Amino acid sequence: MSNAQKLQVVTGFAGLPFGPVSECAVGEVGILGVPCEVEKGPRFGAALAPDALRAMAERVGTEFPAPGRDLGNIEPTGDWSGAVGQLVSQMAHLGVVPVVLGGAEDVATAVLGALPELPVVAAMPRIREDLVAREVNTVWLGLNGAQPAEVWGKISQRSMLWRTARQLDEGGIANISKIPERGGLWLDVSVIDLGHAAGVVGLNPGGMKPETLVATVEAMACEWQVIVITGLAPARDTRGLSELAALETLTAAFRHG
Amino acid sequence: MGDAVQPLFDAIPSFLGTPVGDLEDLTPGQVALAGYFCDNLGRPAAGQRYLARQLRYVSRPDDILMNTLDLGDANVFPLEPDKHIAAVVSQCKSVLQRGARLVLVGGDTSGAKALVTAAQQIADRDVHEVSATGVNCSSGTSPIVLCVDLEELAGNWLSRPRHLAGLTPVQMIARIEAIRGNVIAAAVFGLAPALDSRGTTETRAALAIVRAVTDRLGKGAN
Repeated sequence: MSNAQKLQVVTGFAGLPFGPVSECAVGEVGILGVPCEVEKGPRFGAALAPDALRAMAERVGTEFPAPGRDLGNIEPTGDWSGAVGQLVSQMAHLGVVPVVLGGAEDVATAVLGALPELPVVAAMPRIREDLVAREVNTVWLGLNGAQPAEVWGKISQRSMLWRTARQLDEGGIANISKIPERGGLWLDVSVIDLGHAAGVVGLNPGGMKPETLVATVEAMACEWQVIVITGLAPARDTRGLSELAALETLTAAFRHG
Repeated sequence: MGDAVQPLFDAIPSFLGTPVGDLEDLTPGQVALAGYFCDNLGRPAAGQRYLARQLRYVSRPDDILMNTLDLGDANVFPLEPDKHIAAVVSQCKSVLQRGARLVLVGGDTSGAKALVTAAQQIADRDVHEVSATGVNCSSGTSPIVLCVDLEELAGNWLSRPRHLAGLTPVQMIARIEAIRGNVIAAAVFGLAPALDSRGTTETRAALAIVRAVTDRLGKGAN
């Protein structure tokens, strides 16, 4: 066995060691994979995402910019969403920052459901009712125009901040004053334009450029309390640009957050 | 076999369709291209050694650059690093001593390192190592070795991207063309081309870049 192979056996995501939550110190990150598959729609493959992200990080030699542990994957059987919520709550209680690699959108629902008072920055193409219904306002990044009128009305009524993919491509997040100081980041990889990253569950022509997504998240001076990635279907992108976009966005978030 | 059926043989594949020759065929001012079949020494990544071969395969003799010669591949000993570096430096020196300019194609960063060493030993003054993606230092008449790292291409152009951001081939070529000074040698390296249809884009991009580098060296001091 070569040294590289040995390293692969003992290290987890982006060079972090495998270990339980109890080995994480306050302020460190806990990487949790939730290989949960989408249940409807024509595009599948989200269950492969956590391990594909680990493989991409290993391939490009990414060193995670924060200390922590890779907690491994949770088996998405039985009441897995309850188990994920419980684990996220435990990490938050210990001062550990959960970084959850989904999986389908349900993974983010479980994660953010465990932290109901946390403001969320949602990078996704379509507004979600469950996020609109949260007590604290959500910041929307990369929306496309295909939103029902009543949903636009709701977020306008609550003065939620939003930017379309085109707005971000053209002007970034300059002059935005409503970015929360502490919050959670939900990255639905479908926010990226299909032409740039085909490995996504949702099709989004006219979406964000990967570089814009990375730059936007990197520019946000937000102390992330949780990050969850969903919507990645790596088998649909043989070059791996989708995983790379998710990986670079994640590391960008921790460079400043 | 009847007269109507004749076997067709293509020419030996060469960089940019240039004539194939030996050291003895080189004349001062000519641009020599040589392949570098080694990817296990400097920033190792398996597959980079195949770039030279792939570029020869996709080259067409349609628009041959004047005054160029394909010398074949440098002799390498990748399992004996000391012997390898000494041999590559020696071969690069042999080309430069004839007053020719050299483009070393493919492999890892060790080729560029050997080329810089050879240029320094040949020149009687400092040799500047200039990156195609970095700032062009104005070095007057000092010899320049141009290092073109294809890993600096944006991920969208590559079959196995390692990062998202980077230059497009057009941007990289523009930077190569804009380099001023006496460029005596260049190394183009850092790409492990996919050996199937997926690798077509990156291989053709690399070929266009090699062409720009060869063209730039053909202009001599600029």
